[in-house]
Amino acid sequence: MRLLRRLLRDPVTGVALVLAAAIILAALLAPWIAPGDPAENDLSLAMQPPGEGLLLGADDQGRDMVTRLLYGTRLTLVIGAVSVGLGGGIGAALGLLAGFYRRLDGVIMRCMDVLLSFPAILFGLAIAAIFGPGVLAVVLALSVATVPLTARIVRASASVEMGRDYIEAARAVGMGDRRLIWRHLAPNCMSALVVFATLRFGQVILLGAALSFLGLGAQAPTAELGSMASQGRTFLFFAPHIAVVPCAAIFIVVLVFNVLGDALRDALDPRLGF
Amino acid sequence: MAFKAMTIAAGLLAAPFLVPAARAQSAPPNTLVMLRAYDADNYDPAKSTARSAGEVAYMLADTLTSIDWDMKTVKPGLATKWTVSEDGKTYTFTLRDDVTFCDGRRMTADDVVYSLKRFIDPATRSPVRWRAGQVKEIRATSPTTVEYELSQPYSELPFQLALFFMSIVDKNSVETLGANFGVQGFNGTGPFCWVSWTPRGDFVMKKHEGYNWGPPIFNNPAPQVDRVIWRVIPDDNTRLAALQSGQGDATQYIPYVMLDSLKKTPGLRLVNQPNYFWDYFLGFKVDKPAVNDAAMRRAIVMAVNRPAIAKAVFFGAGDPADSYLNPQVLDFDPESKAKLPGFDPVAARKVLDEAGWVPGSDGIRVKDGVRASFNLYGISDMQWSRMSEAIQADLRRVGVELKVQLWDATVAWGKLATQEFGAFVMSYPYVSAGDALSLYFASANTPTPNRMNWKDADTDKWLLEARTSIDPEARRVALANVQRQVTEANVWIPLVREQLWVASARRVQGVRAHGIYGVGVYKGLDITVGK
Repeated sequence: MRLLRRLLRDPVTGVALVLAAAIILAALLAPWIAPGDPAENDLSLAMQPPGEGLLLGADDQGRDMVTRLLYGTRLTLVIGAVSVGLGGGIGAALGLLAGFYRRLDGVIMRCMDVLLSFPAILFGLAIAAIFGPGVLAVVLALSVATVPLTARIVRASASVEMGRDYIEAARAVGMGDRRLIWRHLAPNCMSALVVFATLRFGQVILLGAALSFLGLGAQAPTAELGSMASQGRTFLFFAPHIAVVPCAAIFIVVLVFNVLGDALRDALDPRLGF
Repeated sequence: MAFKAMTIAAGLLAAPFLVPAARAQSAPPNTLVMLRAYDADNYDPAKSTARSAGEVAYMLADTLTSIDWDMKTVKPGLATKWTVSEDGKTYTFTLRDDVTFCDGRRMTADDVVYSLKRFIDPATRSPVRWRAGQVKEIRATSPTTVEYELSQPYSELPFQLALFFMSIVDKNSVETLGANFGVQGFNGTGPFCWVSWTPRGDFVMKKHEGYNWGPPIFNNPAPQVDRVIWRVIPDDNTRLAALQSGQGDATQYIPYVMLDSLKKTPGLRLVNQPNYFWDYFLGFKVDKPAVNDAAMRRAIVMAVNRPAIAKAVFFGAGDPADSYLNPQVLDFDPESKAKLPGFDPVAARKVLDEAGWVPGSDGIRVKDGVRASFNLYGISDMQWSRMSEAIQADLRRVGVELKVQLWDATVAWGKLATQEFGAFVMSYPYVSAGDALSLYFASANTPTPNRMNWKDADTDKWLLEARTSIDPEARRVALANVQRQVTEANVWIPLVREQLWVASARRVQGVRAHGIYGVGVYKGLDITVGK
């Protein structure tokens, strides 16, 4: 509650928070609030500009853009959340281990360095080549790309925490490693992780959209913001709304989560205090 | 509609900015600048099958015969006349005696024999060698007479000889240039002569002095312009802007979406060839799960809304196909047209219900444990991605799942030669019913181009009959049988017939759309360039 109050002190953050809630809600409720089926087309409406009946117009297949947008955002958010959750989870675990066990530190972190040297797009290409293009390929690529970043951040804060007195104290009373890591170390590294995950969420959505734009992600007729933008770019001159709508949606989603991430960092940073 | 107005606006806005380079290299007077979207890999007519090679080859070289604007009548070319022996196996061509190559050497029967033999020679590796028929021997019996002897009759020979693959070329030039023939130079008898080729840039040719042996389908058998430049401008907007601003004179490479606005653009003239045979179709691999059921294929044909696809994807520049072949083509069978089911999704569902395909929990039908689901291969481009997605949506409505996998052109042909797919999409040019049907439906042509794995003894028998009959009526009947049979079996969904339009600037007169093998401007005769 105190965190929320602190967050809401800045009006921009307030707006971002409301928008984020609205976006997530819209995505969750897509099947109920969308006017139709995202794959249902009516070729006679193809490329219809926004107007009466079709709020955001129709795409080149004559599918309602509002419906596509809702479902596209839903899938894009799912891709982002799963990738950050999966990659962040594995990364955090590795970071904690590296921070806690000094002898594992070198091995784990050098592996992370190797992973860091590959761009996410390259992972996407490789994984799409193995499993075939699709949402799975994108999620895997983004997860793998998120692991080393998270590991670094968590290890850094774990290393700091390891020098604190409470760890010494816990050790002194004979607490086991497992309990020490999960009960004491992990919660204290959490704030850095939450900030990073929120910021990473925006980046991952952007990367995922890029992969889908390249044709490695969601396959037709699945609605996904990146692939919708890719599909619409051919008609930029004749029916700009087909590309502009998903691009604007990506822009808003990424901006909102970046603002939130920044605000969270400020709010959780004790130095910026009260 | 709004987007049409925007097209014009975009084109006009783009004009001054996008083509300064083209303006800088201002063409010499009396030069015809042809604009196109892509180049060919080489200009050896025996080795390339690209349309972009054909449009140049028809200008650089001549063929023994030519095809009239109706796309049916065979007219003289380098051969003034020909006779067929009674058994239909030997054709005797009488050649013109006034023909010279670009280097001034007189063309004789030996050159014709050399060129045709070179085309057939397996070492030349022409992918369309079969177009020459089962050749036994080709010989020159006098400087102006060539005997073309076949091991079995081939009534389409005079027609096929008009295709650019069988252009007459100069032996000396071929031997001197070796592998670089058609890359660094070319010596033919065509209305224009090779000057220079910059790959993906300009192909420059100059008038063949003294040329007056053009096919009789033209008003004037001699070229009227001094130079022709084939200029590659890959981007659609830039290309059309170049045409509108006078840096180019004519093009057939017009994106469908822009056709309407071009028709309304002052200063441009658009001509159409109604007898144009370039069709888009979907073929089923008839031995793959789900699509091996004839009822399934019939239902799918009924489920696809071809008129809506033609309209939405081709913006009116394509006609929905209501028969396997274009009704204007030689040996088309009108009766087979009635056998192709029309768009009727309700009836499609009924056909599937009756055939035992029951909708599963996810809406996709199942029969005996087989899901009504198959994958579709094709070449990835804007037309196909839009068309296949529309087909996918149509099929979903009747409970059939289509998994679309379109491949980049570089790997697509390899993928299309595999057995990995249940259906494929493709577009192709053809010259006659016999040409199209023997290419795609002969069992000998599996796995490509007969990618449907259609192996039928009757089809083969009729195709052979058509190929070897001397009597045009017998050929027509045999080909009609094939058309009816494959239509009834629903081996394809004929989708759309592309239209051929050639746009030309006002200063250019005499541009007519021909369309042989997809080539819009045939030989470049009758064209004059004003100021």
